[in-house]
Amino acid sequence: MLNRQRLGIVLLLALLGLAVAGPWLASRAPFEQDLYGILRQPAWHEPLGTDHLGRSMLARLASATRLSLGLALASALTAALPGTLLGLVAAWRGGWTLRLANTVADAVLALPGLLLVLLLGAFAPGAFWPLYVGLSLVLWVEYFRVTRATASVVLASPHVEAARLLGFGPVYILRHHVLPALLPLLATLLCFGASAAVLALAAMGFVGLGAQPPQAELGLMMTELLPYAAEAPWLLAGPIVVLTLATLALVLLSGRTHEEGALA
Amino acid sequence: MNQDNATLLHVDQLVISDARGRLAGPFSFSLAAGRALTLIGESGAGKSLLAHAILGTLPRGLRAEGRLTLDARTFDAMDGPARRASWGRRLALLPQEAALALDPTMRVGRQLAETHALVGGKRWTDAWRQTADDLDALGMPHAAGQWPATLSGGMAQRVALAITRAGHAPVLIVDEPTKGLDPHWRDAIVAQLQAALREGCAVLAITHDVEVARALGGDIAVLRQGVVVEHGPAEALLREPGHPFTRALLAAAPHAWPARPAAVAGDDVLQASGLSKRLGHRQLFQHIDLALRAGERLAVTGPSGSGKSTLGNVLLGLMPADAGSVRRPARVTPVRFQKLYQDPASAFAPARAIGHALHDLCARHRVTPARIAPLMQRMGLHPDLLARLPHAVSGGELQRFALVRALLLDPVFLFADEPTSRLDPLTQREVIDILVEATAERACALMLVTHDRALAHNVAARHIEFGGGPH
Repeated sequence: MLNRQRLGIVLLLALLGLAVAGPWLASRAPFEQDLYGILRQPAWHEPLGTDHLGRSMLARLASATRLSLGLALASALTAALPGTLLGLVAAWRGGWTLRLANTVADAVLALPGLLLVLLLGAFAPGAFWPLYVGLSLVLWVEYFRVTRATASVVLASPHVEAARLLGFGPVYILRHHVLPALLPLLATLLCFGASAAVLALAAMGFVGLGAQPPQAELGLMMTELLPYAAEAPWLLAGPIVVLTLATLALVLLSGRTHEEGALA
Repeated sequence: MNQDNATLLHVDQLVISDARGRLAGPFSFSLAAGRALTLIGESGAGKSLLAHAILGTLPRGLRAEGRLTLDARTFDAMDGPARRASWGRRLALLPQEAALALDPTMRVGRQLAETHALVGGKRWTDAWRQTADDLDALGMPHAAGQWPATLSGGMAQRVALAITRAGHAPVLIVDEPTKGLDPHWRDAIVAQLQAALREGCAVLAITHDVEVARALGGDIAVLRQGVVVEHGPAEALLREPGHPFTRALLAAAPHAWPARPAAVAGDDVLQASGLSKRLGHRQLFQHIDLALRAGERLAVTGPSGSGKSTLGNVLLGLMPADAGSVRRPARVTPVRFQKLYQDPASAFAPARAIGHALHDLCARHRVTPARIAPLMQRMGLHPDLLARLPHAVSGGELQRFALVRALLLDPVFLFADEPTSRLDPLTQREVIDILVEATAERACALMLVTHDRALAHNVAARHIEFGGGPH
């Protein structure tokens, strides 16, 4: 494991800690207003200050982190599973299966990802499931393409031919020949996919098409706090720092270990 | 030439080691203009490490000590970055598996022209003209527009060598330049190297092919386990080898092997009639009738690309034939028809330890794993090797493991597809001896595909000769 991956793990664990422990750390619920105490500076009982409606920034940030990471992880996983399976089936079967799967993937790829999410969002404004479904629908194509390309090469290799001659079945070949080549790539993709989902969610919230008030969400919080950037810059910094750290952690984590070339 | 005998590269007390100790060396030698130095020896003797140590491109974790003198500048061996400016221009390497060094996404002509222009310092118009001349001289005038993937191994090797030379480096290091090539392409590569020598290059050749060493002339150094056991002028050393290891190496060429007892043939295990196969526009073979009997040995020879391997694959059912049929006795299960591959490292799952893979096989076919140990002992394989991954054992050992793997299934037919063309002569002899003995003991039919006629004649009484490769 590389140092950068360790750093990524530490960052991610810190964010997860914030997300999970938020309700205990913060004195109030994320939506509880206190109009007598707005735009407060960080203090002992309110470590990150309060926003323009007097809500606890710590509670809101923790809640937003939980939402972002949870949704990102969920959509990355739901995209990975069907994408990988379809890629494997297409590579294994070839022929018509492969052509059909390729066509579907290309069709999805032709649509801009955010547009698809917006389109679904129009069905149920303010709900989260369109975001989740939309993100998954966009992200699966990458898994499909990478899996199909890698698996095709492995399945055509002499060691798979040898394994078939030796009488091994598809499950064994998948487990010991294909997956070892595939898993490192999938792990990388999963990290990139999750960071793309985090960003997409924040972007939707920022333009007002994702999470709706009073929900605490990173992009939405930025929009809400932007008018107070001059008076209370530390408030706007909160969601920006969390968003940056989350994407940074996932990108750091995605770095593949470099194998040293063996020399004869 | 006035610069004859000028020393171009001097290597002084070069030692390569890793964390556990010395791997190869000490090496001290000089390379003179117009003269070759050939390193021969077993694979895994540290020959390739030497090439990388001279360039300064050793993999991480390995250390080089000693000094190098190039162009009147003396370098510390470990200080690779200092020699970087010389790469390609003063000091060029043709790496092992050079075909893999070609960029698969760039046409051949462009790769060569680019090197002429960017490394050789020519203007682009001149670079393209030179590229056309080079490819004409190589006898492949139409290759400029081709992709590397469409070239045969020999053609790719010739192009890679031309690219290596395009920077006009006077010191040329070639690592196994003829590995896996048939005699036609081997001679072509050797001719290219001889041309370089005539133009005043110094060539450091690393090979396990004694014929290449003989053809290049100059000096020879014999390596064993990282140490030079003997060195001297090529002619004298090959005529009167002093060290026992050198004698064994020279005697390991297939034409020097003693004859083998004839095979005892039993019942038919395979019958093919009227087999034909085309690949693209080329007819590989037509109307082949073939019957193989238990214990019989058949050799298939011919240049690469002539369809030898395809015939074996068709017999095994790995490829369909265009016409004709293959019949096997109904009582024999399909897994008893097995294959040995040219590159054993590519025939094992790369991430599964060898021992696990063998146990998986036993579990799959309800063979008792107790049979593995005696087979391994018979092949001279140490039990510790079972814990290793396939790429962590030598080619010869892995090929013997491939044989163990096949023998566990009691094969009646074994198709050995150039099983030793990537091995050094000593290992080749060991592997072939074991292969022939093991198949004879078990009355298994052996079909050996090779481009080495001497090997074919030694192993089998029956031959099929393929002609008309894609040359």
